Amino acid sequence: MPGVFDRLDKEIKDKQKEGGISPLDLAELSPAFRKIMRLMLRELQMSYPRLCEVVEAMPEKDRLTRAELDSALSSLTEQFWLIRIGENEKAIYKVNLKRKAGSTLASGIWSSLDAKLKGKPAKNEE
Amino acid sequence: MSEGKIVSIHSFRGGTGKSNVTANLAAQVAMTGKRVGVVDTDIQSPGIHVLFGLDDAKMGKTMNDFLHGKATIREIGFSIGENTGGGEGRSKLAGKNLFLFPSSIRGREISQILREGIDFNLLNEGMQTTISEFDLDYLFIDTHPGLNEETLLSIATSDVLIIILRPDNQDLQGTSVTVDVARSLDVPNLFLLVNKALPKYDFAEIKTTIEAQFQAPVTSVLPLSFDLAENASIDLFSLRYPDHEWSKALRNVVDFVLNAK
Repeated sequence: MPGVFDRLDKEIKDKQKEGGISPLDLAELSPAFRKIMRLMLRELQMSYPRLCEVVEAMPEKDRLTRAELDSALSSLTEQFWLIRIGENEKAIYKVNLKRKAGSTLASGIWSSLDAKLKGKPAKNEE
Repeated sequence: MSEGKIVSIHSFRGGTGKSNVTANLAAQVAMTGKRVGVVDTDIQSPGIHVLFGLDDAKMGKTMNDFLHGKATIREIGFSIGENTGGGEGRSKLAGKNLFLFPSSIRGREISQILREGIDFNLLNEGMQTTISEFDLDYLFIDTHPGLNEETLLSIATSDVLIIILRPDNQDLQGTSVTVDVARSLDVPNLFLLVNKALPKYDFAEIKTTIEAQFQAPVTSVLPLSFDLAENASIDLFSLRYPDHEWSKALRNVVDFVLNAK
């Protein structure tokens, strides 16, 4: 029977599949959104009270009001750029980056490259 | 935010000496007693491992294994301080805390990444986890030249970005693109480093001109050096020849990194 952490992990993974922000989008964000996303990229995940603490400790020129923070979090979550687990004070936020797409070359090209490379195994490969 | 600082080294064009500068700079910072990591995010064309004396036979788990869920960050970190690989320069790193997180040089593993793409959540988690797992003061990221998504991600998470350029018009135009992107990503410390300057030029004038053009500090101007080319990436040049002009100029950059807020 899966435990609470397994269930949370599955919930996060399911939500990650629903979208995400690409590194290209980061440059287009508004200053307030970008501050939050940069913070989240470094911290990986943060609880709502911790986010409030960090934002309050920012230099005055960079600081967001609680209303600005809540509005940004809500918007980022709606777009699946942040994933929220739990509600209100107990919410935990996690950044959600979009997967880099693989090559769009025809799969036959990769199969033949693989076949050629398999013919030349590296020294310590099995 | 975690205590360790992320230092991304980037160049808009190839051939600027980015990996050589990154490896030597990381080594110089490690020599000051700091705990330093170097991640090779140039997954398509990795190369920095050569400067640290690794080849396919010596390389264990790689970033590719991490991205495919086959290894943890702890398993990938290769201690250069415990395995200096024999070079006269590298041997000075014995006992220092310098860790390399290499990318695979096996053709099949590179093609797998190109074919399947990259889980950026995992890549970012890996970069941040290196700092906490290895208690790093500085994590250097060697990026692929030009602007791609991996590069943008590393710039977006950096505390310090060093853009390397040659005094060449193609590099100057490309650098202005990178500077614009870095500014739009709010990188706290943006520095420039000029490499491969012809010794007949006036280095002070190069520095002043480029600083005025980009409105960013030039940390150093490194000369084009045949001695460095002759080293052929077999050793860490600045440790092997500490009194060489190139090595002295490189050490100017260390203070910028250590003093960055």
